[in-house]
Amino acid sequence: MNILVSIKQVPDTTNIRINPETGTLVREGVPSIINPYDASALALASKLKRRYGAKITVITMGPPQAEAALKEAVEYGADRIILLSDRKFAGADTLATSYTLAETIKYLAGEAPFDLLLFGKQAIDGDTAQVGPGVARRLGVPLITYVVKVEKLDTETREIVVHRKTERGIEILKAPLPVLITCDREVGEPPFSPLSELIRAAKSKPEVFSAENPVPLERAKLGLKGSPTRVHRVFTPELKSPGERIFVSEAGVSTVVEKIITALKEKGVL
Amino acid sequence: MSNSFRYDVVVVGGGPAGLSAAMTCARHGLSVILLERGRFAGAKNLFGGVVYTESVLSLAPDLFSEKRLPFERPVTEEGWWLLSEDGVVKITHTEKGLYEKPPRAYTAFRARFDPWLAQKAEEAGVLVIPKVKVLDLICANGKVSGVLVDRPRDWESSELAEVRAPVTIISEGVNRLLTQKAGLIPRDFTPEEVALSVKEVIQLPKGEVEKRFGLSEDEGLAVELLGEATLGFPGSGFLYTNTTSVSLGVGLFLSDFAEKGLKPYELLENLKKHPVMARLLSGGETLEYGAHLIPEWGLEGLPRLCGEGVMVVGDAAGLVNPLFREGTNLAIYSGIMAGKAAVFAHEKGDFGHETLKLYEEAFRESYIYRDLKYFRRLKKFLRENRSLFADYPEIINRVLHLYLSAQGRAKEEVFQEIFGLFRKRRGLTGLLRDFVKTFRFFKGW
Ligand SMILES: Cc1cc2nc3c(=O)[nH]c(=O)nc-3n(C[C@H](O)[C@H](O)[C@H](O)COP(=O)(O)OP(=O)(O)OC[C@H]3O[C@@H](n4cnc5c(N)ncnc54)[C@H](O)[C@@H]3O)c2cc1C
Repeated sequence: MNILVSIKQVPDTTNIRINPETGTLVREGVPSIINPYDASALALASKLKRRYGAKITVITMGPPQAEAALKEAVEYGADRIILLSDRKFAGADTLATSYTLAETIKYLAGEAPFDLLLFGKQAIDGDTAQVGPGVARRLGVPLITYVVKVEKLDTETREIVVHRKTERGIEILKAPLPVLITCDREVGEPPFSPLSELIRAAKSKPEVFSAENPVPLERAKLGLKGSPTRVHRVFTPELKSPGERIFVSEAGVSTVVEKIITALKEKGVL
Repeated sequence: MSNSFRYDVVVVGGGPAGLSAAMTCARHGLSVILLERGRFAGAKNLFGGVVYTESVLSLAPDLFSEKRLPFERPVTEEGWWLLSEDGVVKITHTEKGLYEKPPRAYTAFRARFDPWLAQKAEEAGVLVIPKVKVLDLICANGKVSGVLVDRPRDWESSELAEVRAPVTIISEGVNRLLTQKAGLIPRDFTPEEVALSVKEVIQLPKGEVEKRFGLSEDEGLAVELLGEATLGFPGSGFLYTNTTSVSLGVGLFLSDFAEKGLKPYELLENLKKHPVMARLLSGGETLEYGAHLIPEWGLEGLPRLCGEGVMVVGDAAGLVNPLFREGTNLAIYSGIMAGKAAVFAHEKGDFGHETLKLYEEAFRESYIYRDLKYFRRLKKFLRENRSLFADYPEIINRVLHLYLSAQGRAKEEVFQEIFGLFRKRRGLTGLLRDFVKTFRFFKGW
C-alpha cells in the first residue's frame, strides 16, 4: 500500500492570542505543532502501516521551519518526507494551496500511485476544511470527509469501509481505492513511538520542493497571486446543536409522540 | 543485547548542563546521544532568568554572528529593591561598562534559550532525542554502562530499549533520581536544602516596558526583591525585563512553605498586589506561570561528581549560587568540564573513576568549587539572620521616609525618631551583631 498524508504546521492554540487591533493571530513566540487533525491522519497511516504494511509519504507546504513537523511525522512511521517551500508559495489561500498540493501529489503518484490520501478535516488556524476536498477534485479521486473510523480495508478487493461523522449521525461508507479521506480526531491515537523511530526522526531531512523543481508550477496560481480570498472578518460561528435523538425502536411510539408534543408546546407552537 | 543502541556517550537531560557536555563530546568526534523527557529541550524548564554571556560564548564563540540572539534584553541596570509593606527603596547600579559590547548578561527565556542551545548541539553532531524519559541506569559490578528508557526499541518489540555507552553523563536537574541510583549521593535532599520558586511572565502593552522601567529598546533591568516580597522570610523575589514582558518571581526554602503553610502562588499573588508592583504591572497579561526547585544544598550536599563510567553535572550536582544568580552558567561550565573528561577517557580507552576524575579535579580548581566552599554557611546564615529579610528592608524604608520628609520639623526630633527605630527593631547590640555576622559571612569565616 502506498499512503500519502498531507499535514500543516500550526501555532499551538493552547498558547494562542488574537491581536485585538488587527484581529489576526499573534504568532510570535508561540510554539508550533502539527495540526491536531493532521496528527490524527498520521496516526491512522501509522496504524495501517503496521497492520497491512505500507509506504507512507508525508508532504507539507510551509516555511523552512515546517521541517520540524515533517521530522515529527517520521516518528509516526513516515518513510518519505517532502517540504514544499518557496517564497512564491507564501500567502496561499485554500485555492492556491489545493493547486500546489494536487500538482505535487500528481507528480509523486507518477513514481508510484497512492492508494490512500489522508488529510486532516481542517486546520485549527483557519478552520476552512477546503484543502482536502480541493485536492480530491483536482486529482479526480473519490472524497470522504470527516472520517472518524476505518472499519475495514481490503487490500485484495481494494475497498475501504469508513465511518463518517455528520450532524445527523454516523454514515457508514464503502469506497474503492484510491480514495481521499479527511480525518477527524477519533480516527487514530498518536502511537507511543519506539526509540528506533525517534532516532530515525532526529536524523531525517526532508526533500525540499520549490515552485519550479522538481514540479514546475504555474506562477499565477501560487501564493498570494493565486489567492482570490479576502478576509472580511474573523469570528466564531455559533455551534449548531445536534438536537435530541430518540429511536422509536427503543422508546416506543407513544413516548416519542408525547415528547414531540411537549417540545412543541414549550416552543409555543401548539 | 539486541535491545540496545550504542554510542560513545549518553547524556540524560537536555538542560544547559547536558547540552554543553554533549556538545563538547561531539565536537571532539564522539558519537553522542542526548535523551530529554520534554517535548523539546527547554519545554519543561523555567528560570529567572539572567544568562551570563561569557558562559554562552565558551560554548558558541560565534554567538554574535547569529541572526537573532536567543535572549531578550541586555542587562544594563542591576541591583536590589527593598520592599516594605507599601514602599520601596531601590538600590540599583548602572555604568558605562554595562553598555560595552558584548553585554555582560542578558535576560532570557528557557523555552527559547534551550532549543537554541539544542540546535547548536545538533549542529555539532549530537543526536538530540526529546520525548524520551530515562528510567534507570544500567549497572553491573558498580559500573554504569548506559540507561534504560521508557520506550520500546522498535515497533515489533515491547521490551524497553537500552542505550549503552561507556560514559553516561547525568544532567537531570534538581530532581536527582539517577544521581542517587548511580550511588553518587547517599540520600535525596531535604526541604531545608532546596528553594521553591514561582514565576510569571507578564506581557505589557507595546512600549510599556521601556516607559515603566525607564529603558530604551536595548537596555534591560534585573533586580532582586527583598523584604515584603517574601513576607520577611529568607529568600528573594526577582523582576527581570524582557523585550515586551516582565519576569516576576519569588522563592523561599521549601521547608518555610511547609512550616508556615504558605502557598507558592499566594506568595506571588501577594507580591503582584504590592502597590509598587501593581502600578508597574497594571494592564499586564500573564502569559506563563510555573514553579521550579532550586538546589541550595551547597557544599554539604555536593555529590561525588564521578563514578565508574558516570559523571553528574549542573543542578543535579547542586551547582548554583543563589546570591549571584549563577546556575545556568555553572551548568554550562560543569558540562564542558565533564565533556572534556569523557573525551579524555575515550582517548585513553579507560572509563573508570581514575580517568573520569579529571572532571572532578578540574572542578575543584574552578571558581565554582571555591565559591561553594566560601559560601558553605549560606543556608545557616540566612536562617539565623532572618532580620535581614524581616526587619531591615522595613527599617530602611522608614528611615528614608523620615529623612526625606523631614521638612518643617526640628531635625533633632527626626533623627531621634530614626535612631529610636533602630533601637526598637534591633537594639544597638543587635545592630552590631548583625553587622559583625554579615561581615564574617562575606569574609567566608
Ligand atoms: C526560578 C528560577 C530562577 C533561576 N534564575 C536563574 C538566573 O537568573 N540565572 C541563572 O544562571 N540561573 C538561574 N536559575 C538556575 C538555572 O535554571 C539552573 O541552574 C540550570 O537550569 C541548571 O541546568 P541543568 O541543565 O543542570 O538542569 P535543568 O535545566 O533542570 O535540565 C535538566 C533536564 O533534564 C531533563 N530530565 C530530568 N530527568 C530526566 C530523565 N529521567 N530522563 C530524561 N530527561 C530528564 C529535564 O526535563 C530537564 O530538561 C534559576 C532557577 C529557577 C528555578
